Amino acid sequence: MSEISRRDFLKLARDGFLYLSGALTLGGLLRFLDYDPNPAPTTEFDLGPALNYPLNSRTLLSAPQAVLLHTENGFSALSLICTHLGCTVEQKTDGFTCPCHGSRFGSNGTVTNGPAEKPLQSLRVEVTDEGNLKLFTA
Amino acid sequence: MKKILTLASGLLLLTLVFAWWLNSREPKPVKLIPTLSGQPEYCITCHADVPEISASHPVVTFGCVSCHGGERLALDEDLAHSTMRGGANPSDLSVVEASCGGSNCHSGSEADDRHHIQRVMTSVQSTYAGAIANIRYTFGAQTDLNAHYGINAITDDQTKTDITSLFAFDPASETNPSIQKFGENCLTCHINATPREGETYDRQTGCAACHSTEQHTLATAIPYTQCNACHNRGNYDLRTMTFTERTDHPTQRIDDYYQPIAQFTQCEYTLDCVDCHTRSEVMGDGDLHASQKDIQYVTCKTCHGTLTELPLTKTLTNPNDIAFRMSFLNPIVDLKPGDTIIVTENGEPLWNTRVLSDGTYEMIGKATSQYFTFKPVIGSSCTQSGQDQSSAYCHECHAVER
Amino acid sequence: MFYYVPNPQEAALSVQTITYHVPFGGFIRNLHYWAAQLLLIVSAIHLLRVVFTAAYGHPRRFNYLLGLGLFILAILLDFTGYILRWDVDICYPLLTGTNLLKTIPLIGDFFFRIAVGGGEACSTGLLRFYVWHIFGLTLPIIILIAWHAFRVRRDGGIAVPPPQLRTDNTRISRNVLVRREVLTMFIVSIVLVLMASFLPAPIAPAMTENPSIAANARAPWFFLWVQQMLKWGDPFIFGVLIPFGLLVLLALIPYIFPKPVDSDIGKWFPKSNRLAQIVVSVIALIVIALTLLSLIPA
Repeated sequence: MSEISRRDFLKLARDGFLYLSGALTLGGLLRFLDYDPNPAPTTEFDLGPALNYPLNSRTLLSAPQAVLLHTENGFSALSLICTHLGCTVEQKTDGFTCPCHGSRFGSNGTVTNGPAEKPLQSLRVEVTDEGNLKLFTA
Repeated sequence: MKKILTLASGLLLLTLVFAWWLNSREPKPVKLIPTLSGQPEYCITCHADVPEISASHPVVTFGCVSCHGGERLALDEDLAHSTMRGGANPSDLSVVEASCGGSNCHSGSEADDRHHIQRVMTSVQSTYAGAIANIRYTFGAQTDLNAHYGINAITDDQTKTDITSLFAFDPASETNPSIQKFGENCLTCHINATPREGETYDRQTGCAACHSTEQHTLATAIPYTQCNACHNRGNYDLRTMTFTERTDHPTQRIDDYYQPIAQFTQCEYTLDCVDCHTRSEVMGDGDLHASQKDIQYVTCKTCHGTLTELPLTKTLTNPNDIAFRMSFLNPIVDLKPGDTIIVTENGEPLWNTRVLSDGTYEMIGKATSQYFTFKPVIGSSCTQSGQDQSSAYCHECHAVER
Repeated sequence: MFYYVPNPQEAALSVQTITYHVPFGGFIRNLHYWAAQLLLIVSAIHLLRVVFTAAYGHPRRFNYLLGLGLFILAILLDFTGYILRWDVDICYPLLTGTNLLKTIPLIGDFFFRIAVGGGEACSTGLLRFYVWHIFGLTLPIIILIAWHAFRVRRDGGIAVPPPQLRTDNTRISRNVLVRREVLTMFIVSIVLVLMASFLPAPIAPAMTENPSIAANARAPWFFLWVQQMLKWGDPFIFGVLIPFGLLVLLALIPYIFPKPVDSDIGKWFPKSNRLAQIVVSVIALIVIALTLLSLIPA
């Protein structure tokens, strides 16, 4: 252990205390900011009677942003949230395009062009006992 | 340097004075707080000269924004108009629910007879279902005369006609060229569509197609000239799928009204369309129908009866009877409880008629306030046969040309 | 500030109240908008000047970093201020900009929560962006401005070679310097007042629930270059890594690049820091080119 003068030791201690105080303050500040008071967003949506969505229909929903499909295999839904950075894709005659960065998807959600890499998310649809449709985004 | 600084500070003062002056030239905002919404609007800062639209929709109560949309606080034209519904016509059927709807307004309950928007949207004048079905059947695109297509897709959950929905008619996806031509040439006369070019076809779309007789006016006294923007304008040819405008130049009512190819009685030349054709005939009854003949039912018999029956009447006792509401909206008669009026076969009140004490009837024209009296067929020298009650049969003797 | 209401239902309406009904509200808002945009442009030009005159060398290296920090804070203040409009045009820039944070591995969600407050940006982000704009970013920028100005003086004023290498020994007096700065303030004020009088700040209807009503999916002008790059692929690489990499590159110029010789300090386009000049010019040209490219309709 090399000799250290009292002055240098005190300076080291003082600097050490200040840096630790700074770190504690910064850490506390970051924890303060890292809180979400908002209620969790809904993940279950009631779409009303299944009869409203006849066979072979594609219905554009606004809440949530999705398109509801009724095929021979039953009900399914495609999320309209672009898998690139989250904008809402617009429906075109042969699929969907995203206005933000130009991603393009086919009518079944697969990527046909553009910076997006993952297809549009498939969302689960269930039919309740009363014949209503429920859409799940999670 | 000091001189430049003084000059620059002088220029700064000048620009600030200029900015102050520019600000003082802006028009002073004129505020309106409609009682229905309680939220200030500033539309009349620029639009102070727009007339009141009707006695039922005073601007102090409704304001402008509740019907038209738009940005109520903006004083800049582009921003203020940017969220307006339907351009200058908020009753266009694409936006009518947001503009005229609401359970307190014109999307009320069926029981109260306040579901106007739902009735109009499903009416044949909107869907054109009959014309479309007939054309598609004639040219082989469908094998029955049931209505499958309308101008817009529409569903009716509580239909009493077995028609629960119509798909949107898309002429481009039809294969028969005549049907495609029908789509190109013949779809300008339903209230969803913008009319053809030409002053004679000039009308609005949506509710305003019938109810707006002038700029920024809503009326219930609708003259025949309003209906004539679509009706009686010419002839169509099924083989070529074209519309030929009428070429005669009518100068009086008797010539104006119908083309000289048909035969009509004095009532039909003198009265306005709305004097006979009831609300459910024109605006629909709330259900999807396959054809005009399913909804149009008023005949000569409705007012005049037959050789063996008097026209149906009803004495108004309930002060909430819809006849009173309707006569309030178009006060040409002073209808009171105890008055007896003619009603149609479906119970719709012909509120502008009254049964007189001597057994004759009176009618007051809804749009003209003209006064008419008429007699029932019973007791007259009419040679009507009991079986044939069609109007064409009455025309055989009563048509004006004869 | 006395009239702006930071909740999602009333924010855009309060902006309209300020613009059209508060006396001189529209003028002050326009002034605030144009001053902010000009700040970014003038700061960028200042950065270029500092590099082109090799003025970042010792003892000014730390002040150069302070300047870069100020530039970043100014950009963030411009972005947060733009978001406060809460109209139809800002939802997509807010959504994509904050989703970029989420693409950062390990700490992305943490950064998102700090910046936006969690939740969905276009629903819940307004209040937090408001506090960042009027306090969270403002306090640091005031401190850094004071520090930056102090360091200019402490480092010996405007960059010139050390006394023994100076070719030109004339120095303007303190009074002349102050008078020149005051004159500049007057001229800039005149320009800003004229701009605020004739060129209105952007305004649009309030944001609605359905974001697809906004056909305008365009980023604010100072981020158009990033939007253009994002059209090429992975959001983390093109939206976070590359911009951050450019920032790191700029920050390293005084430390890694060939150091300018003392006799060149303060001269325009000297030879000894040619590499830094070229790199910064190329970066500036690329950013401008990307911005112009993004304006071409698809």
